[in-house]
Order: sequence, then C-alpha cells, then structure tokens
Amino acid sequence: MTIGNGIRPWLQTTTGIVAVLLLVQFLTGILLAFYYVPSVDHAYTTVSYVEKVVSSGSWLRSLHHYGSQWLTVFVFLHLIRLFLTGTYVVNRTQWIVAILLLGLVMAAGGTGYSLPWDARAVFSTRVAEGLMAGLPFAGRNARLWLLGGSEISTLTLSRFFALHVLVIPALLAAVVIWRLFRSRIAELFGPRDAIVGGVVFLALALWALKYPAPLGPSVTDATADYLPRPGAQFLWLYQSLKYIPGGLGSLVGVVLPGLVLAVLVTLPWLKRQRLIAGSLLGLGVVLVVIMTTASYLGDRRDPQTSKQLSRQAAEEEAWRREPFKPAAITLAATSTSVAASAGGAPVLYTKFCVNCHGPRGEGAQQGPLKFPPLLDVSAKPHRSVDDIVGLLKDPTAYGLEPPMRSFSNKLTEEQMREIAEWIVKLKR
Amino acid sequence: MPLETSRRSFLKLLPIAAVFASIGGAAFRFLRPRISAATDSWLDVASVAELTGPQPISRKIVAEQITGWAITTEQHNVFVLPAKNNEVVSAICPHEGCEVAWEQNTNRFSCPCHESYFAADGSRISGPASRGLDALPARVQDGKLQVQYVSKEQATRA
Repeated sequence: MTIGNGIRPWLQTTTGIVAVLLLVQFLTGILLAFYYVPSVDHAYTTVSYVEKVVSSGSWLRSLHHYGSQWLTVFVFLHLIRLFLTGTYVVNRTQWIVAILLLGLVMAAGGTGYSLPWDARAVFSTRVAEGLMAGLPFAGRNARLWLLGGSEISTLTLSRFFALHVLVIPALLAAVVIWRLFRSRIAELFGPRDAIVGGVVFLALALWALKYPAPLGPSVTDATADYLPRPGAQFLWLYQSLKYIPGGLGSLVGVVLPGLVLAVLVTLPWLKRQRLIAGSLLGLGVVLVVIMTTASYLGDRRDPQTSKQLSRQAAEEEAWRREPFKPAAITLAATSTSVAASAGGAPVLYTKFCVNCHGPRGEGAQQGPLKFPPLLDVSAKPHRSVDDIVGLLKDPTAYGLEPPMRSFSNKLTEEQMREIAEWIVKLKR
Repeated sequence: MPLETSRRSFLKLLPIAAVFASIGGAAFRFLRPRISAATDSWLDVASVAELTGPQPISRKIVAEQITGWAITTEQHNVFVLPAKNNEVVSAICPHEGCEVAWEQNTNRFSCPCHESYFAADGSRISGPASRGLDALPARVQDGKLQVQYVSKEQATRA
C-alpha cells in the first residue's frame, strides 16, 4: 500500500470506533427500554413521550438511531480494513467476529426500525414480511414465525422487540466477549483506537443534538400519499428492491447477503481466499454505493417525490412542536367507570376526543396548550346537537382553530350525532 | 508503573469514560421519577340518603391521574363512616399500602398483610400501622357525597 506511515496506523483504528459505538448502542438501548412499551396501542405513544416529555429523551433516542447507522458503516469499513491488511489470514477470530457483527448489527437495525410503530415502522415491517414470505421453500413458515401469526399484529411487535432487545444483544455480547477472550485488551484497544473512538463519539453526540431521530406520523394519522424511507444502512436494499421483480426480492434481500456472509465467515478455511473475499467485498461496496446514491438522487430529482418528502419533513417538525397526547388507560370495572357515571361516553368519543377534552369532557392542559372543557357547552350559543355535528365536520366554520380538526373523514354523520348528543348532556 | 504506560492507559480509558459520563449524565435526567399530577375533581361516592346505620359502608371511586404517558382511570376502595358524620376513609393501610377489609363479626378493619387493626371510626387499634386510616376530602353536593382522591404519595407527604 502507498499510504504513508503517518496515516496508516490511524486508519487501523476501526476496532476502537466499533467498540465505542457498540457501547453507545447498549447504553442508550437500555435507557430507552425504561419507557418503551412493545404493544401496538402504546408503542407510538411511549416513543412520542420519550421524544417530547422526558429530559434528554430526544438526544438519547437520536444517539441510538444514528448510532446504529454509523455502527453499520464502521463495521463494514472495519471488515474492508481487515481484508486489505490481510488480517483474515493471520487472525481468524478477528475476521469471523467482524462478519458476525455486521450480520447482527444489520439484524438489530432491521428489527429496531419496527419498534416506534409509526407509519414508517409499519411499512418496514411489511417489507420484512414480504422478504420472509418470498424465501424459497421456507417462505410460508418464515413469514408466520416472524409475524407470530397470519397477520402483522401486536404479536409481531412483541417478537421484533424480543429479537431486538434480548436475542440480538445477547448474541452481540457473546461475539464481543469471545473476541475479548481471544485477544489481549491492549492489542484490541490501543491509544489511537481510543482517540479516534472518542472523536467519533463526540461527532455522533453533536449530530444527535442537532438532528432528532425521525418519527413518522402514527399509523392512524398517515395519509395515502405518505412516502416511507428506510434508515441509511438499508437504502441499498430499498433501492435494489425497486429493480427486482416480485418474488426475487427475497433472494437479493435475504438469501444473497446471507450467503455472502456465510462464505466470508468460512473464508479462513477456503482456498483462493483473497480472490473470493476481494470479489465479494468489492461487489458489495459497488452495489451499496451505487444503490444508495441512486436512491438519494432519485428522491431529489423527481419533483413530486422531493416535494412530498419535504412536506413530510415539515409535518414532522410541526408534530414535534405539538404537545404530547397521553394515552388513556382504564383499570376499573366497566360498571363503575367514569364513563358510566357520566351517562356512558360513546366509544368513538373515547377514541378521538378523550385525549384533548378528557374522559368526561372536563378539558385538559398540555404544556402551553389549553383544551376547552365541554361541560355546559350546550348553554353557549351555536352549540346545539346540529351545531356540534357541523363543528365536527368543519371546525373553522365555527371559528375554532387547530389542533381541533375536522372529523368528516373519520366519523359518519350518525357517529358525530351520537357524540354530540352525549356532549350536550355534560354538566358541571 | 512507568509514567509513559500509565499515561497511555489513562488515554485509552478517556473516550470510554466520556461515553459513560455523557450518557450517564443524561440517564440521570432521563430516568427521573415523575410525580403523578393530582386531580382535584370531585368524585361521586353515594347519595347521602342511602348512607345509614352504624357500619362502615364499602364504596368504589374511580379516579383519574396523569401517570407518565397515560391518563390512568383507576378504581379505588373507600369506606364511608355514617356513624362519623359520613367521613370517607381510604382503604389503603397507612403501614405498607395493602387494602384493609371490614370485619363485621369483630367490628373492626383488618389489614390482610401485616395484621394492623382499625376501629369502626378508622382509628388505629393495634399492629404495625403508625396511624389510623386516612380520611379523604369530602363534601355533599346536591344530596350526593363526593370525595377527592388522594394518592399515596400525597398522603405520606402530608
């Protein structure tokens, strides 16, 4: 190699970077698990809560989100470094560990994407479902096992959660511990590794301060024109799937990468090592770079797509400034519930209105925003049952401002009437 | 240990220490407990007309609290004491928080966990509890007895 002796040792510090980033993922992951609930009715709420309410929550989640992408990149660079320096011949353990890490880190990223259960996560889960279903021979069973049933459901989310926080981290820990036992710490983590690892962490920490991790609209709020995009480490796969007809997607997305990793793991026992590893890694780099670039350019060049994506970014920004909406949990026998004592709130009131106006229409305050109580509302002008139905269709016509919104696409006239008839009976 | 070596090992630990320090510092704020917001709404217990006799009457109230990311609607057991001018006491034992039950044959409240006993007026008779059952703020409105729910945190702080 022609790299000067001054720079060369610095280029060999990928071990340190990977070690630091793995540590960041473990620490932030443990912290996020203190609030996260793996259930389709609460996952999005708990992630929003971490983003909006919990101190340092947005930074820690962003560290975890971007850390996973950086980690994938650096494990990949680490692998290429081990190949270029011929380490795979000298130190088998180090080589095998690097490949296992790459596979596990990708798996962690894939399962982690589903956990916030925003619109993006649901799309990502659907893609994972499709990739499994398309597998030759085992497709049907692979899909069922991944989903935990015949449909994507709350069971699926539990499975992804268990894989993401228990199975994969345990395997990662096992791989790391194996590596530690096979080498002296000093050799693993030299002063240069320490410096570069520290610098990369600082960069990630600042990046995470500046850019919060994305969180798409909730599943119920996503509109049909929503464009989901995967994390940076999966853009190559996302773009490749555009070019591959139907069932072959699983071959490219699952079987082929799996085979490549399997061949690379067994490399120390194969003949013509340099040729095999060189062509596989070279092909991988070319594929990833071309596809990632193509995906990026594709989104930029198509005016409609880029417009929609910037609209989504603006909506996400606006959502970030909205106050947090708590979920409603009822731990009481229905016969004595609050709803019953107030004459039984319609189910749809509980679904759509309760977050802002309270279970008995008493209103609520969230941060700077005050949501008006509905008690005695019928005593006010223009608040008859007919008026309230009209107001639910078009709040601006009644002089109301966002966050009150129209429910004409969510509720039928009859359902609005049921809610309105209940609301006018509310008394202080 | 030679100076050079110790300086090197210190240098090596520095970034790891930075990761632990910054994430650990954030963790302290991140994990800080949240005191449930008190609800000051008045909850119906019963109509005053049905509260008669010398015996404590068991009733359930349903209170709402903002608990972290959820508004939790939870049922709590209370006892109305008609003999004591309709005072309402919480069923939560002031010792360790189990729920006391009214024992008609012995005419006292008993806690199933650590055998604290309370008289029909809620005062402590014996056992590890240090005080009697906690009374809840109560009022009568339109012939209905109403109370405000007091959380354990508020009760112990008071």
